[in-house]
Formats: sequence, structure tokens, C-alpha cells
Amino acid sequence: MKAVDIIFYCIATFVLTTGILAVTTRKIFRSAIWLLFCLMGVAALYFWMNANFIAAIQIAVYVGGIVVLIIFSIFLTQQSGNQMPKPNSLRIIVASVASLIGFGLLLQLYNKQVFQTTNKNFDIDIATLGKQLLSTDANGYALPFEVISMLLLAAMVGCIVIAMKASPTPPKEGLKKEEIL
Amino acid sequence: MPENFFILFKQELWLVAIIFFLLIIKLKTKQPAVTTLLNRINVLLLLNLISGFFFNEEGRLFGKMFVTNHLYVFEKNILNLAALLISLQSTKWLENHKHIIEFYVLLLSSLLGMFLMISAANLLMLYVGLELSTIPLAAAANFDLHKKISGEGAMKLIISSAFSSTILLLGISFLYGCTGTLDFSVINNLLQQQPLHIAAFLLFFVGLLFKVSAVPFHLWTADVYEGSPVAITSFLSVASKAAAMFAILNVLNKMVQPLFITWHTVLIWVALATIIIGNLFAIRQQNLKRLLAFSSVSQVGFMLLAASANSAVSNASIIYFILIYVFSNLAVFGVISLVSAALQKETITEYQSFYTNNKFLSWCLCIGFFSLAGVPPTAGFFGKLFLLMSAAQGITFVILTIAALNMVISMYYYLRVVKTVFAKNENIGMEKIAIPVYNKIALLICVIGILLTGVLSGAYSYIISLQ
Repeated sequence: MKAVDIIFYCIATFVLTTGILAVTTRKIFRSAIWLLFCLMGVAALYFWMNANFIAAIQIAVYVGGIVVLIIFSIFLTQQSGNQMPKPNSLRIIVASVASLIGFGLLLQLYNKQVFQTTNKNFDIDIATLGKQLLSTDANGYALPFEVISMLLLAAMVGCIVIAMKASPTPPKEGLKKEEIL
Repeated sequence: MPENFFILFKQELWLVAIIFFLLIIKLKTKQPAVTTLLNRINVLLLLNLISGFFFNEEGRLFGKMFVTNHLYVFEKNILNLAALLISLQSTKWLENHKHIIEFYVLLLSSLLGMFLMISAANLLMLYVGLELSTIPLAAAANFDLHKKISGEGAMKLIISSAFSSTILLLGISFLYGCTGTLDFSVINNLLQQQPLHIAAFLLFFVGLLFKVSAVPFHLWTADVYEGSPVAITSFLSVASKAAAMFAILNVLNKMVQPLFITWHTVLIWVALATIIIGNLFAIRQQNLKRLLAFSSVSQVGFMLLAASANSAVSNASIIYFILIYVFSNLAVFGVISLVSAALQKETITEYQSFYTNNKFLSWCLCIGFFSLAGVPPTAGFFGKLFLLMSAAQGITFVILTIAALNMVISMYYYLRVVKTVFAKNENIGMEKIAIPVYNKIALLICVIGILLTGVLSGAYSYIISLQ
């Protein structure tokens, strides 16, 4: 076993352990923190694969953004110190059997599959990535990039409508008050 | 950028233009009156629909991300028509709603996502389109803001769609791992009958089956349909289903031909389960929206059965059926939305002696249900006939018989509503409901569509000629 393999297995164990802890712990805040470590482990995997840019994005977006968002929403909505109710044992058994079957199936599939190896390296130049994101040519991703911006716009409009509380006063009076202020 | 960019991409550009136009109106301090606003929006939607019939070309854009041809344009026209009809039907509900513009922004964003999903030639585009078509709808499902059941429906929709997207993404990542590409045609060349390829395809396909709510992935349907406002329910049951079905046809034809043996079997079993379970659950529903939810589940089963045949004829008959389905379902939903907006009544028993005071609405409801049940001479009969005939190429007679028998079962619960509506009872009977002009136009279009698309054979041969 080479050092590369050992490092891989270390990272993989770390990701799996923290992932399992994230779903089994009964305090929701701890669960969020374990998720944070799990995502950092995934970032480490990207570093291991030499995909530095994706690793940086993983840390910036997931670790820096999404987990912080989750923690915020836990603080705003849940009593983070309390323990969650214990799931009933039948559910635990069924869930673990299902995940074991899934694991076994995937293992079998991977063993049966002959993967082609390639000597191509990642093109890790960030300038190339940036150009691809905005290019409309054969290897460009301008369209999905723009479509995602439409998605975000729609999602924001939807969120605002849901979150806005219906004001008891009719809207016209509300406007006047703002104008006075 | 090619010279004909604005022609190839026009339907999507139209939608984006309308969305931004609405947003700008929203940002202005002086808001137009509600009726003016609704008039303007409906005219815009009409123009949007009309623009789809002229100056169409075939081609591809953005590398190979976006493909368009006459068939895709026709499919988008069906969706545009559905959006216009739904918009006309929901004017009465919208007049009392505070967030009209937001409603349309969400609806049209979702429509844009569907267009991109249909035109996708790349898994990435397909996925992004799929998300764009579901997430705004989940927000819109919550538009009955004061009703708890509406929020519950939206929550169920967003969670189940997130769950299905995860499975879909897992499938996509396996497909990418097996083939090293996201392009449909390249994947089609590289796929083989190998265990991992099949598993990847199945995961991917499960995600799509979730969207058309095929059994066993149908559990979210009834609750979401019941909770959402009628406008969104009809959009979900018509446009969303149709778009997902178009995407499934596209994927099956363009991407996974090497795995035909696998998906042929899968589709037959899923279709049978969908037809049977959809029908059985529909029998015991009391709420009309729930009834239509399960009826749409079983209709999807028939479409999937035809899709298993994998031929040009079966594709054409599915698209033809969807066109009819749009008309028939919207005829029914048009009446329901009017009744729901005026009297807040949605259960079947409340429709007793509906005919006494509402003759026109009752006939629309009746023709719509006849078409859904497949009673000749309505178009629904021809739609089902073509579906089963094209499906018959690849399946045994036992399966065909089961499907045909299920059409008989479905007649029971459709005609039960018709019977309730027409049964005479002097004491009870819904009061007369005023029909606004827009609703009348929409209902008339639906009824004429149901009667004509069946009798005139032009529609079907037109679809065949497009392929």
C-alpha cells in the first residue's frame, strides 16, 4: 500500500465516521457540526485529487455558507440544547438494513465494472474554468450558469412572498406611512 | 453566437422578457389596477403562444446544450397553451390575491425550466431545467397563504422533489463516471448492458418517474394537489406532468437506446402498477382535487405503457394524448377553480344537483370527464386508443387486457361525479355561479379542443410528420 492510498483511506474513514455521527446524534446542533466536519473531509478528498479549485469552492460554499446557514436556522427555530426524541428501534433496524443492502449492491457493481484508466490530468487552470463558465461555444457553460441565476431569482421571489406577513392594514395606508417616515 | 439565435431561442427569450417586465411593474411605486394588470398579462401570454407558431427553425445553441426542432417547438406550444388557459381560468381567484405578479413570475419561471428541460441535450441542462421547473412551483403551492394545508402541500412538494433530485443526481454522477460525458448522444454511444450502467440509468430514471408521479413514487401527489390553490394544482397536473413526460421520451430516445431491454421491462411493470394503483385509490376519493390527482397518476401509467414501445408511432401517440389531456383536464379544472373561488366547495357530494343552476359549467365538467374516461366521440377515446395500439407492439395480450380493463374501472369514478352533478334533487343544489368572460373563453377552448382533436385526424398526422 502506497502513502497515497493510506491518505485516501484516512480521509474516507473520517468522512464516513462524521457522516454517520451527523445522522445518529440526538442533539441537532451537534449534528450540524458533524456535518461541517464531513464536508471538510470531502474538501480534503478534492485536495487529494489535486482539484484545488473545487476544494476551495467546497470550503467556501458548503463549509462557509451552507453550514453557517443551517446553524443560524437551528438557533432561530429549534431549541438546540434539547435532545431529539429517540427513533423507534424498528426504524433503526430497517434503515440500517437498507443502507447495508445499498452498500453491498454498490460494492458488487463496482467489482463487476471494468473502469478505463486515463493519464489525463485535471485542467486546474482557473482562467480556463472562468472562460468556460462564460463561454457559449462547444465546451461552455454559459447557459446553465444563466439558468441557475433565473432559478435563484424565482426562489427569492417565492421565499419573500411566503415569508412576508400579511399586514393588518390595507397596503395603501402602509405606503403612506412609509412616505411620512 | 449563430445568426439565428433569436429565432431558435425565441420561446425562452419571450418568457424571460415577460418575467422581467412583470418584475419591473412590481418595482414601480404606482401599481396598475388588478383587472388592467391581468388583461395585460393574458395578452402577453397569448402573444407568447402565438409566437411559437411562426418562424420556426431547427438547430442547436450553446455548444450542444440546447437543441430545438419542430417537435420541441410543438411541445412547448402545448405547454404555452396550458399556461394561458390556466391563467385565464384563475383570474377570479387572482383578483382577490395580493401577490398576482409574484404568482406569474413563479409560474413563468417554472415554464421556462420546462422549456429548457425539453430542449436539453445534456444531463446538466436537464437537471437545471428540472429544478427550475419544480422549485418555483413549490413556492407557488403555498400561495393560499392563510391556509395551513397549502403550506403543508408546499412542504411535501419541496421535500419529495429534493429527495427525487438527489436520486437523479446520484444516477447522473454514475452515468458521468461510466461514460465521462454529460452529452446525450455520446452517452448513447458508450452505454452497454453492464450492471453499473444499468444501475446508473435506473437511479436516474427513478428521479424522472418521481416527477410524473408514477407508482411507487406517487405518494406526494394527492396531498400536494389537495393543498395547493386550484391554479397551481392544474398547472402541476397538466404542464408539469407533460413536461416531465416529454423529457422522459427525449431521454429514452436519445440517451439510453443501448439499454432498451432493461427499460422496456421496467416501464411495463411501472406502468401497470401506476394504472392499477392510481385507479384503485381514485375510487375512494371524496375530494375532487384528490380524485384528479389519482386520475392523473393512472393516465400517466397509460402514457408510460406506450413509451415502452419505443417507436415513432408511440411517441407521436403520447404527445397527441398529452394535447388531449391538457384540454380535458383543464376543462375539469376550469370548473373546479371557478366553484372553488366562488363558494370554496371542493368535495364531490357538494356538487350534488350542480346541473340545476349551472348548466354550462355542468356540461363542461361532463365533457371533460368523458374525455378523461375515454368515451367516444370525445378526443380522450382516440387518445387512449392510439396509446394502447402503439403499446401493443411490444407487450403481451395479458398486459394489454389489464390496461384495457382498467379503463373500465376508471369509468366508474369519472362517471360517478357526472352522475352526482346531473342527479336531480330538489332540496339541495349549488347556487348559480357567475362565469367571467375569461373563464368562459378558456372553458370553450377546452371543450372545442376536446371535441375537435378527436374528430379531426389532422392533429395526429401533424405530430407524426414533425418527427
